[in-house]
Amino acid sequence: MFRVTTTLSMLALLGACGTTLPPQELVDARKAYERATKGLSAQLAPAQLDTAKQALDKAEKSFEDEGVDPPTVDLAYIAERKALIAEATAAKVAAERDAKKADKMFKDAQLDGLDKTKAELNKERQAGEKTKAELENEKKALSAEKVARAEAERKAAAAMASLAEVAKVKEEARGMVITLSGAVLFATGKYELLPIARDKLDEVAKALTDQGYKGILVEGHTDSRGKASDNETLSLKRAESVRTYLVSRGIPSDKIRASGLGSSRSIADNSTPDGRANNRRVEIVVEPLK
Amino acid sequence: MVRKLVLRMLWVGLVAVSAAACGGAAVPQEALTAAQASVKGAEVGGANEDPKAQLHLKLANEQIEKAKKAIEDGDNEVAARLVDRAQADADLALALAQQAKSLREAKDADEQLGKLKKKLNQ
Repeated sequence: MFRVTTTLSMLALLGACGTTLPPQELVDARKAYERATKGLSAQLAPAQLDTAKQALDKAEKSFEDEGVDPPTVDLAYIAERKALIAEATAAKVAAERDAKKADKMFKDAQLDGLDKTKAELNKERQAGEKTKAELENEKKALSAEKVARAEAERKAAAAMASLAEVAKVKEEARGMVITLSGAVLFATGKYELLPIARDKLDEVAKALTDQGYKGILVEGHTDSRGKASDNETLSLKRAESVRTYLVSRGIPSDKIRASGLGSSRSIADNSTPDGRANNRRVEIVVEPLK
Repeated sequence: MVRKLVLRMLWVGLVAVSAAACGGAAVPQEALTAAQASVKGAEVGGANEDPKAQLHLKLANEQIEKAKKAIEDGDNEVAARLVDRAQADADLALALAQQAKSLREAKDADEQLGKLKKKLNQ
């Protein structure tokens, strides 16, 4: 009854004055509310949107009942702000959600990066271990080599020691000189090796095998008795006998030469039997590596 | 219509009676205090750092001043309406400040993520 009366009276008013235009505040409030409902507010700020709806309804009711009076304007003013609050709240919640997502991705990426770094470190460590193993191997190889070298040196020294028992060994500028007495190698006037000479030359060959050298020179020497040319020929033949035997014992033929020097390089007095005996000799010169 | 008019007149009469009894409509002291607290809250919430929020903060402050003046003038009804408007503006100022802050933080987080990704891909 009351509402009908109001509506009728409003219709009468409309008839009299045309449409009553809503205040600008109400127009703005309606627009703001509509925009809020179309945005994320319904989903992210439902409570605020509901408050905005109630505020707008109140303003609409006041406008309907009282027309454009100051309370209506104020209610519309408030309703617009409530709608804007719903919108701002929804935007805030959305931004918070985005930030949370980015934070999670950040942490994931960090962990991912950490894993990667760990993997890289592992790789590096493995590489380091490999290098360590390689070093260890090298060390082993080196020590094996050292042992081998020491062994070779020991053998060579032993060979030299046993050589020293059968021959005179001395260091000269031209190299190591092994001097063998002619008496133990050859019969007088002969150049074929005596059986005992072979034993001695075996020792020499053994000692030479473990030595480093550039070349070997076998020199035949005689005393000064007899014709010089005969002595030279004999000394050469004897040197060659020795050379041939040493080659047969493993000394490379291209590294060993023979020469006959006769009595040109006497080392002792030819006037005494002892001196002549010392002069009859074969010298094996081991020319050192540079 | 007649009935409504009578009702309205009755209400006005009541107000007049109470005004006569207590010195006009009640001073909206509680609402004013609440609005002032909301303005402070909006300021603390960073309303001065966002232009839109700052605008509504200004409106809220202006309306609070007007409300105080209305109270001085004894116009408590106008004061109450001004306080309500101020309250709505203060609330909006805070909501806008919080929105701006959240957007800023989301942008920062996104930038940090971008930087980290770039660093990791090097």
